[in-house]
Amino acid sequence: MANIVELSVVPPPLPQGWTPPAASGKSISPLVERKLLPAGQAYLAHVRRAVHKLTFEEHDKHTEEEQKRLAALNGAGSSAEDDLGVGEEEEPEELLTQDPKEWKKQDHYAVLGLSHLRYKATPEQIKIAHRKKVLKHHPDKKAGQVGDSNDDGFFKCIQKAFEVLSNPERRRQFDSVDPFYELFETDVPTQSQVTKHRNPEKYFFESFGPVFEREARFSKKQPVPLLGAIDDPKEKVEAFYDFWYNFDSWRSFEYLDKEVNEGSDNRDDKRYTEKKNKSERARRKKEDTARLRGIVDTALAVDPRIKRIRQEEKEAREAKKRSKGVNGNSLDAKQQAEEEKRKAEEEAKKKEEEEKIARAEAKKAKAAAANAAKKARRQARAADGGEA
Amino acid sequence: MSQPNGSAEAPIEVSAIPTVVGINFGNSYASIAVLTKEGTAECIANEDGERQIACAIAFQGEELYIGNQAKHQLVKNSQNTITGFRNLLGKKFSEIPANALSVSAPVIQHPEIADEPAYKVKVLQASPSPLPTTASNTPAASKTATPRSEPVQVDRVLTVSEVTTIFLKSLIKSAEDFLGKKVQGAVITVPGWFEQAQKDALEKAANDADITVLQLLEEAGAAAVTTTSGPVPEGLSADRTQLVVDLGASALSLYLLSIRQGLAFSLATLSDHSIGGDAIDDKLIKHFAKEFTKKTKVPLTVCPASDPQDKRAEAKLRLALEHTKRTISASPGAATCSVESLKDGFDFTGTITRLRFDMEVRPIYDSVYKKVGELVSAAGLDLYDVDEIVYVGGSASLPGLDEALSQGFPENIVTPFTQGTVVGGGVGDPTTILARGCALQAKILAQLGEGTEEEREVKASFTHGHQYTQSKATSKTIGLLFPEEGAENALGGQWIPVLLRETPVPARRIVAFNVDLGEGEEKKVGFEVWEAKEGVKIEKVKLPKLEGEEEEEEEEEEEEEVKEKTVEKETLLTSLSFAAQHATKKGGRWTTRLEVTAIVGEDGALEVSAVEVGASGRGEKNVVTVPAA
Repeated sequence: MANIVELSVVPPPLPQGWTPPAASGKSISPLVERKLLPAGQAYLAHVRRAVHKLTFEEHDKHTEEEQKRLAALNGAGSSAEDDLGVGEEEEPEELLTQDPKEWKKQDHYAVLGLSHLRYKATPEQIKIAHRKKVLKHHPDKKAGQVGDSNDDGFFKCIQKAFEVLSNPERRRQFDSVDPFYELFETDVPTQSQVTKHRNPEKYFFESFGPVFEREARFSKKQPVPLLGAIDDPKEKVEAFYDFWYNFDSWRSFEYLDKEVNEGSDNRDDKRYTEKKNKSERARRKKEDTARLRGIVDTALAVDPRIKRIRQEEKEAREAKKRSKGVNGNSLDAKQQAEEEKRKAEEEAKKKEEEEKIARAEAKKAKAAAANAAKKARRQARAADGGEA
Repeated sequence: MSQPNGSAEAPIEVSAIPTVVGINFGNSYASIAVLTKEGTAECIANEDGERQIACAIAFQGEELYIGNQAKHQLVKNSQNTITGFRNLLGKKFSEIPANALSVSAPVIQHPEIADEPAYKVKVLQASPSPLPTTASNTPAASKTATPRSEPVQVDRVLTVSEVTTIFLKSLIKSAEDFLGKKVQGAVITVPGWFEQAQKDALEKAANDADITVLQLLEEAGAAAVTTTSGPVPEGLSADRTQLVVDLGASALSLYLLSIRQGLAFSLATLSDHSIGGDAIDDKLIKHFAKEFTKKTKVPLTVCPASDPQDKRAEAKLRLALEHTKRTISASPGAATCSVESLKDGFDFTGTITRLRFDMEVRPIYDSVYKKVGELVSAAGLDLYDVDEIVYVGGSASLPGLDEALSQGFPENIVTPFTQGTVVGGGVGDPTTILARGCALQAKILAQLGEGTEEEREVKASFTHGHQYTQSKATSKTIGLLFPEEGAENALGGQWIPVLLRETPVPARRIVAFNVDLGEGEEKKVGFEVWEAKEGVKIEKVKLPKLEGEEEEEEEEEEEEEVKEKTVEKETLLTSLSFAAQHATKKGGRWTTRLEVTAIVGEDGALEVSAVEVGASGRGEKNVVTVPAA
């Protein structure tokens, strides 16, 4: 690189009426012969320029390349091994000072510096991220520094986060209730929001696209068909809704279970908590299924493609009708039209039925939840009574 | 999750650092430097824990001593101890002055090779061990082995080259023990005054010791490498004039170097074999001998000593002084010198304060100062033209020397002492500076490729006296003058020197600075390019008339002792002016940032270009050229 000398002097403004004097035509004073000491990088650069006949700019470029090559050579060694894209993340103060006892509430991905990957992080990446954090936050490293006794708090958080994320089952449980996505879950557009929008078509894809992308991670079947675009063919759209109406989710809610009171030896107590947790899980699962169904329903109701497909079908029917009238070949066409009509009707009926089922299911879920609640209350009362 | 113990993979060791060493091979002391993991150079200690390894080898009986242990042999076994051999390398016996060193083994004419200096030492040669009994032999009468017969005393004649080989081998051995790897190559220092024959002899001796010599580097070059690698010290620019003061044990060498962005050449050199650490020792020995006589009433005449008793006492004192000198260099307090049984069984312990020390050694300091003056004026410069002093050698670590020298220099002169880099392994540590420079140079050389013809040529250019070391340099400073209304100085504006005199060509300098454009909306940038005359003395131009004039001026200047750097404009070369496009307004005034590049080609053609650098990007390039003569 060119060596630029920074000067602190600030030349004053030019005097009024200053015109640049013409070049004197003189050359610089005659050069003198000198004998260089063949030493140092600068001499090497000097010789290289002379031998390879390079100008200064060309030489700059060469040195830069050379440096890159050397850096790559060194990098291939010990210092910079491939971290699989784990990278570095900022550590805000509240993250570092959180209480390791409240580990259920902590964002394990943020603790390991993986908030940009989350559920996408591979086990290898988690391992690397954990190692990185441990190297940085190990209590031994802080031995010389000033700090309070809670200094290894964050290290405990790291260990807990790794414990959760390195176990596939526990990780799935955490991913199910990842606090990062909780905010988004409530942020689903409603039917009126879409219809009242100035550009409903565009808004539909903009708002529902990310929703389905987010929900797709819970599917046991992968890959998941995503919302797609406005000019998707009928088959694709139907396949999409078909998939989402039969969504098979791995989401579960064990992570939110209430801890069984370790201190108490009471079997009943334990059983009671376990039972309660179980019912709570089931309720949550049901709620989640209903929630997803609701999203799909809303999407279906306002999907501009459905409207378009219907319109197209109608047009096709009418076109046939008309062509039949002209050609006298009406019977066939009429039959066909009728058949199509019947099919459409059937489909509509089917859809209605499906919706009905969904509604019923939701109702049932509600009833079950109510039942469960009732039961729980009853049991609680019974337990109270038993203790009393 | 958990792995069984021992299943972790061993770290892959890919090191870009070559295993090369730098050796400073002085006449009295040597030092070794290796490259650290970070790529910097570090002086290492040998197995005796000594960073300053005495250039001495001694034979005693069957034993061979090398280094500081050998030096101690000078007391009792001086006839079998060899010192000061480096300076004799490559010399013929007839060239060596007859009154050379007498403290160690005398230099004699080699009995077989004509006109070859050699050393004759007495060694005990182990006699051959008895023949082992074999099956066919008659069995030995007893189980106990036949004792070896007594070793016989023989005379061993060693040439200077052989001695050097033995010594260098031990240095490389120390480095290999430290590194744990085989040394691939070494750069060895040679003094500036070494002739080609001496260099050849050194290279041969090194090759005999199985050392791949990457380069024989002049001491000035090694010092320049150390001082130019790494960041530019505070208060200095990359273009500077450096004075290297090498005060070794046996000689004083002075180099005046012009350093232009790391590219160094010497403006003048001077060496004097009468000034050195040994002379300092002589003064101190006399001082302590006097003190000893005063304390114990035992007469002791030293420097020169004639009585063998006195001689031995002198050798003892000399060894003890080494420690005293180091203490004086390292701490501001007093230093002690103690010798057990100095003479007639009397012990001696004396202390010396730094003040007293400097008083005793003052004549040496003064002669160094005088030599520096001679050197600088030989280069046609003034002491005020020197920007930096670099000290080399053990004796140059004495703070008193720096104090004595810096009187004549401007107040802002940069020395290792003002920078505080002398102690604690700093950059300016005079005892290790050369070895470290050699190691850095070795690193550069070891990384050179040898694939193509051109790469080989680049490598060859590091050999002594190669054509690429011949270069042309500018003789006058070229700079920019920004005219100013009502300027106070004689130049009539703001002067920005860009290409200093004594800059080897082709050269390029880029300077970046802010320009004040005033309040008006005109926003015009303009400057003139001048060749300037700096100070009162300018580089010796090969014109006899001018030289005469200048010398007269010099004398006047020195008599008046008015020292101030002056700049006079001499020749207008060209000018450049354009309207600023990227100016920004700050506090009602327009300013812009300018990047001016000046390139002098090999033929002396000058190209000045100015580019505006704004927040929005780089402006147009405005170029003017001045053709070569």
